[in-house]
Amino acid sequence: MVLEVRRATCRRFSLPNSDLRLISSPRRGFPLQATMICIDNSEWMRNGDYAPSRFQAQADAVNLICGAKTQSNPENTVGVMTMAGKGVRVLVTPTSDLGKILACMHGLEVGAEANLAAAIQVAQLALKHRQNKRQQQRIIAFIGSPVKYDKKVLETIGKKLKKNNVALDIVDFGESDDEKPEKLEALIAAVNSNDSSHIVHVPPGDNALSDVLLSTPIFTGEEGGSGFAASAAAAAATGASGFEFGVDPNVDPELALALRLSMEEERARQEAIAKKAAEDTENKDHASSSNNDSVMAEAEPATNAADDDKKEQPKDDDDLLQQALAMSMEGGSSGSASVADAAMAEAGAVDPDLALALQMSVQDANMSSDSDMSKVFEDRSFVTSILNSLPGVDPNDPSVKDLLASLHGQGEVRSFLFLS
Amino acid sequence: MAAANTTAAGTATAAPAPAAPAAPVQVPRGQVDLVDFIDWTGVECLNQDPSHSIVNALKQTLRDDEGLHLASDSDEQLLIYIPFMQVVKLHSALFKGPEEEGPKTVKLFSNKEHMGFSNVNDYPPSDTLDLSADHLVENKPATLKYVKFQNVRSLTIFIEDNQSGSDVTKIHKIALYGTT
Repeated sequence: MVLEVRRATCRRFSLPNSDLRLISSPRRGFPLQATMICIDNSEWMRNGDYAPSRFQAQADAVNLICGAKTQSNPENTVGVMTMAGKGVRVLVTPTSDLGKILACMHGLEVGAEANLAAAIQVAQLALKHRQNKRQQQRIIAFIGSPVKYDKKVLETIGKKLKKNNVALDIVDFGESDDEKPEKLEALIAAVNSNDSSHIVHVPPGDNALSDVLLSTPIFTGEEGGSGFAASAAAAAATGASGFEFGVDPNVDPELALALRLSMEEERARQEAIAKKAAEDTENKDHASSSNNDSVMAEAEPATNAADDDKKEQPKDDDDLLQQALAMSMEGGSSGSASVADAAMAEAGAVDPDLALALQMSVQDANMSSDSDMSKVFEDRSFVTSILNSLPGVDPNDPSVKDLLASLHGQGEVRSFLFLS
Repeated sequence: MAAANTTAAGTATAAPAPAAPAAPVQVPRGQVDLVDFIDWTGVECLNQDPSHSIVNALKQTLRDDEGLHLASDSDEQLLIYIPFMQVVKLHSALFKGPEEEGPKTVKLFSNKEHMGFSNVNDYPPSDTLDLSADHLVENKPATLKYVKFQNVRSLTIFIEDNQSGSDVTKIHKIALYGTT
């Protein structure tokens, strides 16, 4: 979705397409990466020393990481696999579909022992068969149970990973004995090439596992990308956006400016729409219609509220939408008549046919039933503007026309056809 | 005819370089140095030491610098992937390196993308070179099986071991000669 807005912004401000690569390239956060996350779902995860349970804290952290990576670069892919439970198995192969990843975490059972060596091998294989060979390979392992291998074995594993150019991040939490941190440090030292691999030790305590991970290089990536990834991560955790539009004005002033300008124009246009309820034809001709689509689609209350860097915008659009709704439902015929009159006065000047159609629609609206919902549907302009904003819905589609016919009755369909 | 070519190339390169190892290389007759046709965005090298990377051995200016070399990291094997910007025909390859840590067994694969160490032994190589100290020090290009390299879009070089069996393989220069 972010990519859509960026493309539209490019078109709008006449940036050549090569700049699109610059804009969407990950100069911050994570470079093009394929990641496999290894989850420890062994018996040791039942313990409650991390709230609410070790396993739950781990699941939250995994969700956060997936979100940060996919937002940082839409071409990043993430896969998930278990190290224990029913055995070492891949739950989802590297994909950029966040929904799929979150869904597979559902209903995971805790039990048995974690098999770290086999898990890393399987993760390597899964990464080897990734679709986009240009992605860097990375494994993130959550190790909460004791490590039964000795240092030598771990170092061999690490060397093999380094030889195949796979980076490794380790989250050391849960069970801790004397040797575990040392062994894991040795593993990271063996894998590490050019500071690409990291290890984080998280002791039990008040802070949630995910919060502790937010400030680590596992989250912020290697390119000093604290700006975007951290703010995206922070936004996901706290629900407040770090920077407006999620873009650091210091890092990318042109993009921030372009986004702000298109936002303001959108807002101005939304207000104009709210006033002139019947101006749907102009919406279609508008150059940034695709921009409008993505913005309006967001304003729908039903859509995914987890889109962090546009969080402020839906609130404003919601307000405008509420106004539009209120105006269309206001009072009996007087409200709709006044709206229609205002619309007619302006539209009539432009197009006498349009004025005629509007008159017909106002008459029909006056003859409608009392319920609120039907009143909303009766406000044809509102419906058509909604329809136009829905991507993939063509108002001229016969099935759509039939649906409208069933809602309004015959006379109104005619006027609607006229309008579109 | 191939044998005559080899001896002709051999004498051409050996003649101007009696004892000095840094003698200028004679490009085999009728061939060009393919360094200009390498697609640098796709060049990859697995198991390279980050501070001694593949560009030190391949790039025009860096490969002639005696102080820069390509070194392996975890063990002595190296897997180099070189895509070309157009289809080329390979004639010979020159490897320059130290006598002890220079490469010994070199397997070349034509047009195989994205191989890894695990599947490199699954395919028969297009050619195998057994380099001696001569090749490495005397600037002597090793001639390849010309018929196998008629239609090369990308070349994968697998360096299996080195002269002395040490843990690190070092290469000062890799040059590819052929025609387009």
